[in-house]
Amino acid sequence: MTLLATRGLTKRFGGLCALDGVDLELGEREILGVIGPNGAGKTTLFSLIAGSIRPTSGEIVLDGQRVTGRPAHLCVRAGIVRTHQIVRPFGNLTVFENVLVAAMHLRRTAASHARDRAAEVLDFVGLADRRGQYPATLTLAGRKRLELARALSTGPRVLLLDEVVAGINPTEALAFTALIRRVRDERGISVIMTEHVMPAVMSLSDRIFVLDRGKPIAQGTPQEVVANPLVVTAYLGTSAGEGAAP
Amino acid sequence: MTARVVAMAARRTGGALLAACVILAVLPAVLELSSYTHNQLTLLFITISGALAWNWMGGFVGQVSFGHAAMFGVGGFVAGRLMLSLHLPPPVCWVGGAAAASIFALGGHPLLRLRGPYFSIATIGVGEASRVIFTYWERFTGGSSGLSLPIDADLKYRLYWWALVLAGCMAAASVAIRRSSFGLKLLAIKADADAAADVGISATFYQDLIFVLSAAVIGLSSGLYASYQSYIEPADMFGFERSIAFVLMAVIGGVGTALGPVLGAVVFVLVRLYLLSSRPDLYLGLYGGLLILIILFEPLGLTGLYRRGQRWVRRASGQAPGGAP
Repeated sequence: MTLLATRGLTKRFGGLCALDGVDLELGEREILGVIGPNGAGKTTLFSLIAGSIRPTSGEIVLDGQRVTGRPAHLCVRAGIVRTHQIVRPFGNLTVFENVLVAAMHLRRTAASHARDRAAEVLDFVGLADRRGQYPATLTLAGRKRLELARALSTGPRVLLLDEVVAGINPTEALAFTALIRRVRDERGISVIMTEHVMPAVMSLSDRIFVLDRGKPIAQGTPQEVVANPLVVTAYLGTSAGEGAAP
Repeated sequence: MTARVVAMAARRTGGALLAACVILAVLPAVLELSSYTHNQLTLLFITISGALAWNWMGGFVGQVSFGHAAMFGVGGFVAGRLMLSLHLPPPVCWVGGAAAASIFALGGHPLLRLRGPYFSIATIGVGEASRVIFTYWERFTGGSSGLSLPIDADLKYRLYWWALVLAGCMAAASVAIRRSSFGLKLLAIKADADAAADVGISATFYQDLIFVLSAAVIGLSSGLYASYQSYIEPADMFGFERSIAFVLMAVIGGVGTALGPVLGAVVFVLVRLYLLSSRPDLYLGLYGGLLILIILFEPLGLTGLYRRGQRWVRRASGQAPGGAP
């Protein structure tokens, strides 16, 4: 059952085509990994789906409903939420308030309900004992957990994770991988994640989608994708003796 | 537990506010204030309302406006015109001025796409442009010679309580907003408007809303000011110095704090009274110096100093230090 789909999604910045005709599908309770070399268009893809920028052409459909071109705050109400590669906590709010403010976007949500949800989410990501602190006092891994908590607190159906594991130490990365799996298993949220840390994305993803220079070049299970010569070429290039990829 | 502490603090602030308002309300009757003091206090209450309203925009949502005089001018002149041309009762004219200022602010919607210094610079432009336009629009504002409003000595005396009610309501509203979910959203937008949008908060909507509310109060206070002065001219109402005064009062008292601007307005008005009568040459220089010192050493102004003092006392009395910066 398809939850989120893009059709022919294209974004041009002036003469540069950052994303060119991407057709992507995400099923219910699926974890989809999006990989590709630097500049492949991964973050652009996320920004388009999350409504941070408008596509040049193409469509985004969530559960049969067109959400193309909706501004970010309406995408959140529809159930799509993103995290940022470089964490962006609200530095003037405490950890708890950061998560609370994200739980308040639904107009009818009662204040006490929002507080309960924020507390539950903080507990889920393991920051319950940090609720009164300010984000600046957390480690990078802690701030990444906060970023995830804030996103979960909006009650999403689709979660877009932009390089959440990158930049934190291996032990933390392992814990984070387990956390993302629990997001899907316990909360039933579908996840699209981009990641440069291959062990994390390979072990988590049900399916992998590979982008290169704005174009989709392969998709399939992690095993299929790593064996695909196009993918290998995109990442490693070809040696001087070989011709272009078949 | 924290919720109860917050609720207790809220009740204490509310109680203190109410007590202060009641004392000030009966003050003229008890002390038989001279008409000079009576008038200066009226002016102070009007000024406090303006400083608090500016702080909603510049402090709560972090959009520092150097053009609030434009809203002040529009509110005052519309109120004045309603008095002169339509002979409506003053309170109706004040509300008319507030409405006009809000509508004027709605026209400023495109400015709110800008953030930080870009917004500030644009507001300087709008403020100065309004001053010039309204100075040349003689049929409406009377040009540089301004408007003389019908003088009503009895109303001027009663303005003390009108202004006090406005200032009291503004102080209460500031505390309420600061503690509400609405205030939390404003703070999130202040920290990072794009990240706020990514958690479902429409930065555009809330900025417009607080801008219009701020303008309405500025317009209302301007109507009271017009009635108080009974003579208004564009150079004063729309003056850049007035825009700067809003900024200064908030900065002196503590930008973004709920009640800091009240303190800032008191200090500002007192210092101005003193300097204008004794050392008019030092007047602007002193504010400039004060501004530099505050921004360098205590960005939260007097409120910051007060909190620092509180922490110091707590430490000296041997209790555990509080954590919040």
